[in-house]
Amino acid sequence: MSNSGPDSQTILVVGGGIAGITAAVEVAETGYDVILLERGPSLGGRVAMFNRYFPKMCHPTCGLEINFQRIKKNSQIKVMTMTSVSAVSGGPGNFAVTLETTPRHVNAKCTACGDCAKATEMEVPNPFNYGLNNTKAAYLPHEHAYPMRYVIAPEAASGDEGAKIKAACKYDAVDLEETSTTSEINVGAIIWATGWKPYDASKLTSYIYDQSPDIINNVEMERLAAHNGPTGGKILRPSNGEPAKKVALIQCAGSRDTNHLAYCSRICCLGSLKHAAYLREQYADAEVDIYYIDIRAHDKLEAFYQKVKDDDRVHFVKSKPGHIDIGADGRPVLCGEHTISREIYAEPYDLVVLATGMEPSSVDNLPALKLTTDEYGFIVPEMGDADGMFSAGVAGGPLDVSMSVQSATAAALKAIQAVRG
Amino acid sequence: MPDSSSSVMPLPDNGNKYDLNFARWVYKNVNGGDKLSMCMQCGMCSGSCPIGTEMDHGPRKLFMMIRAGMKDAVLSSNTMYNCTSCYRCVVRCPRGVPVTYILQDLGRVAVQAGYAEAKKTDNARFAKAFNWSTRAFGRTDERLFTLKYYLSFGIVTAIKKAMANMPIALGLLKTKRMHFGAPHRIKGTKDLRAILDKARAIEKSKQGF
Repeated sequence: MSNSGPDSQTILVVGGGIAGITAAVEVAETGYDVILLERGPSLGGRVAMFNRYFPKMCHPTCGLEINFQRIKKNSQIKVMTMTSVSAVSGGPGNFAVTLETTPRHVNAKCTACGDCAKATEMEVPNPFNYGLNNTKAAYLPHEHAYPMRYVIAPEAASGDEGAKIKAACKYDAVDLEETSTTSEINVGAIIWATGWKPYDASKLTSYIYDQSPDIINNVEMERLAAHNGPTGGKILRPSNGEPAKKVALIQCAGSRDTNHLAYCSRICCLGSLKHAAYLREQYADAEVDIYYIDIRAHDKLEAFYQKVKDDDRVHFVKSKPGHIDIGADGRPVLCGEHTISREIYAEPYDLVVLATGMEPSSVDNLPALKLTTDEYGFIVPEMGDADGMFSAGVAGGPLDVSMSVQSATAAALKAIQAVRG
Repeated sequence: MPDSSSSVMPLPDNGNKYDLNFARWVYKNVNGGDKLSMCMQCGMCSGSCPIGTEMDHGPRKLFMMIRAGMKDAVLSSNTMYNCTSCYRCVVRCPRGVPVTYILQDLGRVAVQAGYAEAKKTDNARFAKAFNWSTRAFGRTDERLFTLKYYLSFGIVTAIKKAMANMPIALGLLKTKRMHFGAPHRIKGTKDLRAILDKARAIEKSKQGF
């Protein structure tokens, strides 16, 4: 499958989250050609779905905007959305990579005018908000999407609905005939930045995530707090839309648990401290209880922990709750043992947020991609750097955003060294 | 005869409130004790326990007390005897600690080591009566072993307890779960007793009590 020509110096980056974007920009700005693949319709990954960053509480859109500008201005980066890798053959300097592109049904002529969305009544669960609300079946992934281009959900891309959407487009940007395509490229090195997904909270059976809308996970909390989220940034109880003023945040929901994820996911403690800050910012009378085993705020993040700790309406309860019940008033009730006082508690809350950990993104068919994983499913190159393949960001293990960026820069440098020979 | 080299070393006793040799003894000699060092004191076990409020310490605290070497306090605890072996803690423990096994075996250690508190607990009385019935008939005779259990509290309490349980007894009779007349027994009670005696002898030589 590999070509017989000279070795390629192009670097392939798989995954368009913060690690993939960083790696691609670093590689391109050093003067090498890079192809950046993204499985979804727009770049930004999980970071685009966050409300704020810890510890400075700044908005991720700010950093993403700068990175999108860097991509736009650099002719050496080629971005391919809706595209994933289905097979890899060859070796360092000469990989033959098979790509699979799924239909977006909207071509480059799209001006993001939004007429297609107005034309259809059909709605689909909004993936950007983890399905907390619906979006029109012809939609912009989010207001800050890159590329700034609409997507038409497969369910709406045919029949009368499809025809309606196509007719509404003034720019002939809707392509209902588009099908999945396969293509092949040659590259010199591959950076895997396939990222993570939140651990499936429904597997934590005693926390009954599926049985109450008021039991949510931490990434859903980010969407509730975000101005472009389902509630316009107000943290409301999903069950009745009332303000969530008494909130429990449960740490290690699935992490550090041999029944689930045996490792510490590293970000959830700071994530929950940030959630406590969101709540206290929105409601002067909010009470937040953080249930923890131990708070892991490493090095410089300790200051943020101290700041949240100083708030006397944020309480730290040293306990991993045993289970959640539903009270007579329909509110979730946390049951467990307070390990300092040995008191057995049953405490009702407006909202319970499970700080679920990071699980590696599902990557299909690892052998066909010449990939191996560690015992937890994170990607490790089979032979280390000699593979010409590198992992960046959370693909290789749990990291926060700043550490992901560092690891992406490191991977970019290694990849450049690999293609230079 | 059991090999004496495999026999368990006796319970350590330095006469102090804290004895770290007790912690080491438990890690080595109690069923599941080797996993005790995995405990991270999260409280999942005690918080999940359906009768956690009945226990003086609960498993999490008891494990910390073992680590601290609080032998007398641990072996005088009621935690072990209140465990109903529902295994909820074992299923939920994020560190794979076999909580139930450890409690059951600790209970045995406490009884064998002669802790008075252990012998006085409800569960110890009940187990003793249960054991008596099994040994006598090879069966549990609900009437006689309950009577024996009640009598261990003294005649006055026994009568009170028996009267309070009348409705249950009548219900059992009605549904033929209990009968009048001689106790049902198995054929080889003699052989069963020989087996039990042998088991006890082996256990005794192994535990060094």
